[in-house]
Amino acid sequence: MVSVKRKQNDDDLEATTPRKLRIRTQQEEEVTERGALGAETPSKRKRGQESVENRTPRSILKRTSNINGANGTTPKSQRKLLFTTPSKDRSDETPNGTPTIVRNADRSARRKSNRRLIERTIHGEGSDEDVLDEEDTLAQQILSDEEDEDEQDTAESRDRDERSPVPETPSKRGRGRPKGSGAGRPRKQRSPTPPQDLPPHEQYFWQNRPGGTKTSNNTLSSQTVLNHDEYFEVMQSYKDHHEPEQEFLLELHSRAYDQWIFEVEEGFNICLYGYGSKRPITEKFTARLYEHMLDQAPYKGSKKTPKIAVINGYTPGTTMKDILTTVASTVLPSHTKMPNQLSSLLAYLLNHLTENRPPHPIPLIINSIDSPFLRKAPTPSMLASLAAHPSVNLVCTADTPNFPLLWDVGQRTQFKFLFHDATTFAPYTAEIDVVETVNELLGRSGRRVGGRDGVGFVLRSLPENARSLFRLLVAEQIGLLYMDDIDGGDGNDVTITPRSKKKAPAKSTTSESTQGVEYRVLYHKAVEQFVCSSEMGFRTLLKEFHDHQMVESRRDTMGTERLWVPFRLEELEVLLEDLAAAEAF
Amino acid sequence: MEYERCYIYTPPETDERAPKRRRINKANSQAQLQERIQIYRETWFHQQERIQATLEEADRVTLEKIINFVSASAQTDYAEPVSIPTGLVIAGPSIASHGPFFERLGRKIKDETNSAYFLLNSGDSSNLKTFLKNLIKKAMSRVDADDEDDLGRIGSSSRNGPKLLDFDLGHLQEWHARSRADRIVVAIQDSEAFDANLLVEIIELFYSWLDRLPFVLLFGIATSAESFEDRLTGKAPRYLQGQKFNVTQSDEIIEKLFSATIASTDVSLRIGPNLSRRILERQKDHVQNVQDFSDSLKYAYMSHFYANYPSLFLKQDITFKDLPPDVFEATRNLPSFRRRVEDMLDSGRAQEVRKLLDSDQYLFENIVEHVQSGQEVLSALSTAGMVIVRVRQALQMSAQVPLSSIWIRAASGEMMGSPLLRETMLSIKKAPSDRLAQLLSSLEDLEGIDFPVDLKAYRKDLDELNKDNTTSTPLRSQHDVRNDNLRTTVVAQKVLLSKHKAALSERDKAYSELVGHFHDELDTYFTTAFIDPRALFLSEILMYDLKSPHTEVFQPKPRFAIERALASPHDYLGCDCCGDADGGRDADAALSATQPATAIIYRLYLESGSLINVSDLWSAFNALAGEEEDAESKTMALFQRAIAELKYLGLLKPSKKKIDHAAKVMWKGL
Repeated sequence: MVSVKRKQNDDDLEATTPRKLRIRTQQEEEVTERGALGAETPSKRKRGQESVENRTPRSILKRTSNINGANGTTPKSQRKLLFTTPSKDRSDETPNGTPTIVRNADRSARRKSNRRLIERTIHGEGSDEDVLDEEDTLAQQILSDEEDEDEQDTAESRDRDERSPVPETPSKRGRGRPKGSGAGRPRKQRSPTPPQDLPPHEQYFWQNRPGGTKTSNNTLSSQTVLNHDEYFEVMQSYKDHHEPEQEFLLELHSRAYDQWIFEVEEGFNICLYGYGSKRPITEKFTARLYEHMLDQAPYKGSKKTPKIAVINGYTPGTTMKDILTTVASTVLPSHTKMPNQLSSLLAYLLNHLTENRPPHPIPLIINSIDSPFLRKAPTPSMLASLAAHPSVNLVCTADTPNFPLLWDVGQRTQFKFLFHDATTFAPYTAEIDVVETVNELLGRSGRRVGGRDGVGFVLRSLPENARSLFRLLVAEQIGLLYMDDIDGGDGNDVTITPRSKKKAPAKSTTSESTQGVEYRVLYHKAVEQFVCSSEMGFRTLLKEFHDHQMVESRRDTMGTERLWVPFRLEELEVLLEDLAAAEAF
Repeated sequence: MEYERCYIYTPPETDERAPKRRRINKANSQAQLQERIQIYRETWFHQQERIQATLEEADRVTLEKIINFVSASAQTDYAEPVSIPTGLVIAGPSIASHGPFFERLGRKIKDETNSAYFLLNSGDSSNLKTFLKNLIKKAMSRVDADDEDDLGRIGSSSRNGPKLLDFDLGHLQEWHARSRADRIVVAIQDSEAFDANLLVEIIELFYSWLDRLPFVLLFGIATSAESFEDRLTGKAPRYLQGQKFNVTQSDEIIEKLFSATIASTDVSLRIGPNLSRRILERQKDHVQNVQDFSDSLKYAYMSHFYANYPSLFLKQDITFKDLPPDVFEATRNLPSFRRRVEDMLDSGRAQEVRKLLDSDQYLFENIVEHVQSGQEVLSALSTAGMVIVRVRQALQMSAQVPLSSIWIRAASGEMMGSPLLRETMLSIKKAPSDRLAQLLSSLEDLEGIDFPVDLKAYRKDLDELNKDNTTSTPLRSQHDVRNDNLRTTVVAQKVLLSKHKAALSERDKAYSELVGHFHDELDTYFTTAFIDPRALFLSEILMYDLKSPHTEVFQPKPRFAIERALASPHDYLGCDCCGDADGGRDADAALSATQPATAIIYRLYLESGSLINVSDLWSAFNALAGEEEDAESKTMALFQRAIAELKYLGLLKPSKKKIDHAAKVMWKGL
């Protein structure tokens, strides 16, 4: 009794953790208990009452449970028993009490997670999103349950499970807890669609969440992807139904040409940005500018024509030198000897422009000033100093969204740009080699040589040694791919998926590091098979492949050079067969 | 032509008629444009002169100091060199303005002293060798720029002795012997960008040549002289004899420019408060660059005259006969004209209104008169702004408020009743006589402007009051806090606080009266001067305050533009097919098959995670945009083009993680 008294005092003081004691206290002095726990939630009290009702079996059960625990019987088996609980018992509960009981029964985190697992295996539901959501909710609940975890895990959960059949029953019915039971946190909505209307940064984190990047293993068959011929054939017959609108946009921009000419005349340079190829605009603008200049002083009435330099920055291999020589050709007589070095050429040109000031600034049109070919180190700064010269008028277009990052403050000042939005929606026909870009994006640059046939064609023109080396490389690569398969396949006990699907996850783990054949390994194999005798020879053979883009090389994270043939497994296999067949002849 | 790298434009050989027709069209739509451009050029010319003058004035002192330093170092004896004379030019953090500064410096040095000036920056000097090569190249091309084979001669130009390498300072010596410059000034524009070791090497090398070549070094420093010194190691600092020069910081120059151009009293076209605020903010936050400030200003002027028809009235000595009738129509459509007409009708001057609407001649006279008076009102406003600045300076008020912010507040009509003005007026009331004397003299300095308060009378009165003053203490006004004292009295255990005015002497009283009078007069002056200029008749002509072309042109949002074009193509195309039916704000909620392929793909792209399965993307696209079964190749072609475009725009990149996957690079709106 003494101890009970003391405990009761405790109870009074801290009404937060009364559960364990409460029951015992109630047995002795129910009235006091009521008074002391006045602050408690009614639902909790109800449960207390129930336990009072079931007082008699409780003490026995408690003992048995202890025994049970010692025996190692899992509470689960007990719960099975409870399935048989008559419905009459259920009617005993007050309707208000149910959810609380359910919640309490569910309190144990481990139990809950177990149940989830079982549930999932039974129902077979369990998309990736589900897993994630569940993990989230679970973690959340575990965290917030932590305060009352202690007692729950030890006394309470055991208590209640075995103690009274009553609280258990609804939990059975609940099977995954009725939604909106109102107890605790509402369960997170699970839906196949990602959350809508997230602010941009949230969207970023949502899409980059760990495990969020699970994608299917479907692949595009090589037949569906068009090659150059097919693509151009289709595109020739294709007519965009937005053409009138695009025309309208062009017309809209063309109204600004006079304004641009005015701006250019006032010493500003112009930069056009926006989606769609801006080549039609620059083309028309150049024509307009040409006419305008024909009307002006040095050309009016004379036979001379103005010279407008046009640079297509998107064409592969465009260099600063090209730009400088083109600009120089507009002011210098054609036979002038110019310095060879880039920086001195620029200095020479600028000097020339300062000293023999041309009658009008030289118009310089650059399409795609932000193309990869004009991005490298000295080019932007040289362009800036060229554009900064009062005798050069630059009109350029920029395609990428982040092009201003190319220039620092100083260069930006030198450029003295006025920016104009010139969205055209016109296709980038000249700027992009569509088929090539897609192949590169999909890692199928092997199609560049014209696919398998192309490779065969090239090989036929190469000496015997080269063919052997290539066959060796292909065989090695296939071997490696299969090894990947086996490595990855072990952990993957999903058996029914077709082979192509099984291969992909394995690849995702290993391919990054082990794609391709190690240079050393290949060399030794080649020497072993008398394909070549020295590294020099080996290099020469490889160079031929490189030239035809049949082989790609890269250094991996360890710094070892790796070579591979840019084809996929199926294609490689066929290729190897072809090669073997050719060898047989 | 589109696949060629570079070419000179040649017009296509088509019929000759098309361009001519266009020219006629142009004449109609842009009548009087040339005239307006002419006015613009005149107006801007004055502004530009002001800007130039201000800039030169701002730099003048520093430039002169540097030049004196350079020429002084030329006179010392070079038989036994001790150290290289070095100028540490603290040019401040706004790197963009360094270039023009060093150019100006170079011109001045070359003009005023007999020295050679070479400007080098980090870009063309990655190591000692290239640094020297560049230096020599600059020197050689300078002497005989017209000599054609000069560039070829470098490297082989040693008549006697072994052939010199092209980075041997021997070249420079030879050149120096020919050119006979007193000094070789080598300016290093961005010393921070140089490798510290390279700097040390340069200094040591130059020092060793100092007995043969009279070097002077100039370092451009963006941080501080101390940190520059810290970077020099070894003996290098001992070889230098440094002097520090502070360049006027760009924000100070901008402030000066602002008062010279926008807030000046005699400009015909003013930039409105919103635009000025924008320009200044951009200066402060982004560019910090004088050139850019004048560009912004120039563009504002250009826009005003290019697009505003009635701006013709800003022409000086304009006559009625010069003007086409259109311009009067345009003027009648101005909001301020309408406002004025309404006001006139309210006050029952219907007759005049009729005349304004009917008679161009009458309107013309009216306009000319109002443009004139408007200019005066605006310059009075500027003057008042300047007066406030002077007052605050003379009274040594703690919060430094630059003229720009005062002017902007005044021009947006917020000055009257603002705490700033109230505070200033209060402190005038409290000013003791010595402060007031300062104030008066500083206001008297504002020569040549229209200031209605008779300062001389106040000066005389004040002098008279001061004459009798035998003590050194200045006279105080009755509002001076020092004339108040707090008294605490304890009455029946309660503390009573009471304020007492100290007894004022006769002279103090007289002075208080004087100050009070001065205060009242200034107050009425400010009340008349600080009107809201936007309420003025014809304020559209006198003031340019449109943010629209200005912001886009100087602060573009290219990424936003592209994202918008792709996410809601309807915004640009304006077609019937792609617009959303309900026309709601969230136009990009609708995703329809009629949209351009790239837009559809982009929408799918936005929804996907950081890794995209291209095959799934294709099936989604095919389901959305694919039409018939047999047209799959067409859909595929569009699909390929769309993803190729996304890759070109830098939105997608290849991924090695999985087969047929691409990685997402950009997230919308970030």
